[in-house]
Order: sequence, then C-alpha cells, then structure tokens
Amino acid sequence: MPILSIEGVTKRYGDFTAVNDVSFTAQPGRILGLLGPNGAGKTTAIRMAAYITIPDEGQVMFGDAKVGPASQERMGYLPEERGLYKKMKVGEQLMYFAELKGMDRKVAREKIKYWLERVGALDWVSKKTNELSKGMQQKMQFVATILHEPELLILDEPFSGLDPINAELLQDVIMELKDGGRTILFASHRMEQVEQLCDDICLISRGEIVVNGALNEVKRRYGKNTILMDFEGNPAFLDTLEASGAARIGTRSTRHAEINLLNGTRPKAVLEVAMPHVQDITRFELVEPPMREIFVRAVTEQQGHIDEADAAPSIA
Amino acid sequence: MPRNKTFVVAKNEFMKRVKTRWFVFTTLLGPMVLIGFMTVIGFVTASAIEGGESTIAVLDQTGRMELDDSDSFTFVATVDREEDLRNKVLNDEYSGYLVLPEGLIEGTSGARYYSSEGGGISSFNWDLERTIRDVVRLERLEDQNVSREVFDIIDAGINLETIKISDEGEEEGSTAAYAIVGAIMGFLIYITMLIYGSVVMQGVIQEKMNRVVEIIISSVRPFQLLMGKVLGIGAMGLVQMSFWAGLIAAGTFFSGTLVSMIVDPANLNLPETASQEEILAATNFNIPDLGPEVFIWFVLFFLGGYLLYATLFAGVGSAVEQQQDAQSLMLPLMMPIIVSIVFLQAVIEAPNSTLSVALSMFPFTAPIPMVVRVAMIDVPFWQVGLSFALLMASFVGAVWVSSRIYRIGILSYGKKPSLKEMIKWMRYA
Repeated sequence: MPILSIEGVTKRYGDFTAVNDVSFTAQPGRILGLLGPNGAGKTTAIRMAAYITIPDEGQVMFGDAKVGPASQERMGYLPEERGLYKKMKVGEQLMYFAELKGMDRKVAREKIKYWLERVGALDWVSKKTNELSKGMQQKMQFVATILHEPELLILDEPFSGLDPINAELLQDVIMELKDGGRTILFASHRMEQVEQLCDDICLISRGEIVVNGALNEVKRRYGKNTILMDFEGNPAFLDTLEASGAARIGTRSTRHAEINLLNGTRPKAVLEVAMPHVQDITRFELVEPPMREIFVRAVTEQQGHIDEADAAPSIA
Repeated sequence: MPRNKTFVVAKNEFMKRVKTRWFVFTTLLGPMVLIGFMTVIGFVTASAIEGGESTIAVLDQTGRMELDDSDSFTFVATVDREEDLRNKVLNDEYSGYLVLPEGLIEGTSGARYYSSEGGGISSFNWDLERTIRDVVRLERLEDQNVSREVFDIIDAGINLETIKISDEGEEEGSTAAYAIVGAIMGFLIYITMLIYGSVVMQGVIQEKMNRVVEIIISSVRPFQLLMGKVLGIGAMGLVQMSFWAGLIAAGTFFSGTLVSMIVDPANLNLPETASQEEILAATNFNIPDLGPEVFIWFVLFFLGGYLLYATLFAGVGSAVEQQQDAQSLMLPLMMPIIVSIVFLQAVIEAPNSTLSVALSMFPFTAPIPMVVRVAMIDVPFWQVGLSFALLMASFVGAVWVSSRIYRIGILSYGKKPSLKEMIKWMRYA
C-alpha cells in the first residue's frame, strides 16, 4: 500500500488553478522524484501532502487515512525556502521542532545527540544558529526533518547550497533511510541527482501531470534516440544538422554534443554530416535520453514551447 | 501521548523571551520610565487645568478677612447658611465656597473649601491657600506684638481642606490620588498593549521572513501557531504586568512616604523638619484606599485588550513581509486605542459621564477607560462584567478573522495584499 496517495487533487487560488486533477502515489522504500518547471504546482502539491494547505477537490491519503495532524507527526518536511530561529541555540531549536512533532523530551534529547553526531555537528549544540555557516544550518535543518523518524520524508531541493562532501553525507543518510523502508518524496531541479536517487518520477507542468512512472520505464518509453558525441574540430556541422531538421542539439560545447535524433534519423546520418568537418571522434554513443532531455521534451510538448526561464533551472 | 501543540508553541515563545535581557530590563526599568512620563503629563495637565477663573463664595466667620480678587479667583462675601451655599455650588452658581472659621487668624482652626470637583491635582489649592495665608499673616501681625510667638504662629501654617460634595454626601479627601493611579494603569495598558502587540506582530513577520514558518506549520495547524504565539507572549506580559501591578499596589500603599520624599517642605511653607504627616496634610494628599478588585480588573482588562489587539496584529503581520508594510494596515486597527487615550483626560474628569461609560463598554476602546473608572469610582458590577464579556467575545471574533488571514498570509510572498485581498483570503477553504 502506498504511504502517500494524491487522489484527483485540485487546488485553486482565486482564478488561478495551481494544481489540476493530479494523482500520484509514493511507495514505501522508494524515492519519488517530483519534477517540473518553476510555477508548475510542485510546491502546492507538496504542501497539500504535508497538510499545510487543503485541496479544493480530491483527497490526500496517508496510508489509509486522510492527511491531518496525526499524519503530520509521521512525516518530515524540508521546504525549499527554509529557515531557522536565528537567536535560538541549536539544541533548543531541535528540541522545539521535536516537541512540535509530539516527541517526548527524553527521547528527543537522545535523537538530537545521535543525529548531530552522525552529521559531525555535536559541538554545535549550544551554539546560536546565527553563528553557524550556511551549510551547517542546512545540515541542522535536515536533522530537524528526520529527528522524529518519519515514515514519509518530503525533501524539497535538499542539496542546494551544500558542498560536495556534505551533499554526499546527506545522500548517504537519505539512501540509508530509504533502505530502512521510509518513503521519500524528493523535489529537485537537478536532473543528475534525480537520475542518481529516484526510483520513480512524477513530472508536473502547469498544474498537470505530464510524465509519471518508474524512472527506467519512463526512459525506455522515450527510446534510445540520443547520441553523446565527443570530437575534435569545427562544431559547425551541429548547426547544419539542426537546420536540416534531422536532429536537435541538447547541450553542446566545443568538444562535446548531445544530439537528439528527430523524424527517424539514423545515427549513421549524423556521422556522415560530421565526418568532413571533424579531425577525430573520441566517443559516439547511442543512449536513452537523460532526464534533462525528457524534462524539456515533455514540457515542450505540453506547452507547445518552452520558456528560457523554465529550461534554465534544469541545466543548473 | 500527543501534547497540546498550542502549549508547546506558547511555552517556546514564553521561554525564549523571558530569558532575554530585554525582558529583565523592561520589567525593572518600565516603572521608572513610566513615572518620568507621568510626571511630565502631570505638569502639563496641571498647567492646563489652572487656566479657568473661579468665583468663590466666602463665609467669613472671623469678620476680619478681606480677600483680594486675582486672575484666578473672584471672591463674593456671603452670609448664607452652608446648606444654601452647598446647593448653589451644586447648581454651578459658585465654583465653591470657602469657610473662614473663627480662630483662623489665631491659628486654632483651618479654612475649609467646598467644591464639586474635590481637590483635583492642579495647583489651584496652593494658590487659594496662598491667597488666604497672605491675609491671615497681615491680620496676625496686627494682632500680635512682634515677638518670637508671632513667627511660631505663622510657621504653624494654614490648612486648607478640600471636600468633595456628591449627591450621596460629603467625602473627605481628594480624588487626585485615585485619578493618578487610574491614569498610571491606563497608560500602562496603552503602552503594553501596543508593545506586546507589536512583539507578536514582529514575531510573525520574522518567522515569515526567515522562512521558518513553513517548517513549523508542517507540524502544527496555523491556528495553533497563532494562538500559541499570542498566549505565550501574553503570559510574558502577564508576568510583567503582575509585577508592575504589585509595584503600583505597593506604591499606593507607600505613596505618602514617596510624596513627602519628593515634595520640598519649603514650597509648602513648612519648616525643613516638618513631619511626613504635616507634609501630606499640606499637599492635600490622601493615601488612596484601593480594593484588590481594582488590581484584578486592571490585569484582566490588560489581558483582554492585549489578546484582542495582539491577535489582530498577528493577522496583519502574516500578510506583510516587512515591518514598514504593516504600518498602513495597522493604523485603522489602532484608531480605537488612540481614541481611548485622547479621551483619557475627559474620563478622569467625569468618570460617570455618558462618554466615559460608552468608551468603557465598547470592546475596542474599553480597557483603558474602564480601568481608569474602576480605579476612581465604584463602577457597577454589571458594567465591568458586561464590558469584559464583550471584550472577550471580540477576542474570539478576532481569532476567527485573524486565523483565516494568517493561514494564507504566512505562505504568501511578493506583493503586499490590499484589504480587499485579505477579505478574499478569509473565504478560502
């Protein structure tokens, strides 16, 4: 049984429909990636799952009951825009968050100690929050989210602002929680992270679901039609390809290109165009499209075009 | 066992504020600032009241006193009976009447001044006393050979007693002390209601600005967060106010000592060695006899007023992102408080007038005027009780309105909402 099911949910703010008849589920022991351009309705959907806002239509289920104050105690939510009380001490603040989740003070004290030690931050307990670096604060927020051992974790861009070492530490903890059977809802713009972490994806655009399913399956659905090519020489042939309508160039640099084949173009045709212009080819590989490509394509198909602003964060 | 989340929030708000230096300072220094403030107000008020000219009937039983008219006083000699004079005063024919008994010049009895206003806190008394004293001195010097005894008699001073006449009869002593206590309590409520109200609002704005609010409301309902904040900061206010109420009670009890410490005996024409009783008698100051119910109502009305306004301020705070943006939304909210302060003087002068009663019943203005009235006169219980009930009912209404704005407001960023938009928020599911 899914831990979280969003069932035909619609949410409007005045005339604006933020989420329109959306349904998806999150399964225990799996990580569900919630993707979508800015303003697609991700945050609205997440807030309904966290029982922060209430849908106008449809329902949000936690296990077999509707979300509510009881489910709030069993989920941990790390919002994208997050903050802390600047003047409170780390320990006091974590204790406050734990108490708000209904934890016993004695148990909470042990958990705080355990998790601060785990993220290498036990010395901070009696420091004021505004004395911590940004990365430290971020780790502290993460600890606050998981202290009460929630069954469902909702993480909105959990890695933003973390250095690679801390990002890896966080990723380890997330994978550990997943292996422990927790359900994780992970919203991100970082497609390489989505690809690394997620088992399932749900792509929302303009308040509606455009792609939904297991990551592998979604990728398979889009077929092997992307060529990753490393070369030496004049990259002008890429423009020729694009102009002929045979392919679309995803990312490109002077030595590398991601080429998406269009209209049944064969890989051989790309080679033929490239050969006269390049001195050497060090890589030529036909792959499943990367998440970034699926994202762009799905959103473009739905909206008829894609705004620069929408595409930008997916590269970031 | 899930604990009450409102209580957890309230406890956190209370603890993190009570531990600050700010709290300790304001609790201890608040009264001093207030006393300074009241002194200034007192001087301004006193000089404002003095202005008018008074016509005073003089019942001269010595047969020798000729008081000269001045800017402030017109004296009319009379031989009416005191009972008639009394009615004339109540009918506003005279501002008051002055009895100069036999033995006044000899220093064996004091002059008495009867008026409908009691003593008041103006310098009226001193001026009148000085006028009488000057004449008495001259008479004494005429009567006596200049010897040591003369000075002794002069030094014995003249005692002017002011007696308040009301329909229920005479009441000795002045209402000044009651008015002062009432005014202090009124101002305390005014200042604290605004200060604690803005503390709540600042807390709401800060939580919203540093984005901690979204984490909190993934654990508690916005309503619980709002109430927890208001109650926690209210509990802090209650501690502070109870401390101050205790100080006022103590201050009232020891006011005699305080006044005699502050007042320079020389200004009252008393020798430096004058005793405390002599000084108090000369300043016409009576130690007010306030029952505990005055302090209970004071705390209750502070609490009611705070709860009402803090809740509304929290609603406003949730809708904006910066303190400055809140100003324009707060002004209409604060109008009733400002009105009740503007009319404070009027309430003190006539605590039973229609205006005073109306102001003390209307929930948004009630706390300040009601506390002033309770301190000054015996307000019928149904009035205080009803006023408090109305105040609490308004608080419940304010909670409903604010919590509906709050739950949308704390998650809304960007453009500052108009009043119309905020009303629209109230209708969202």
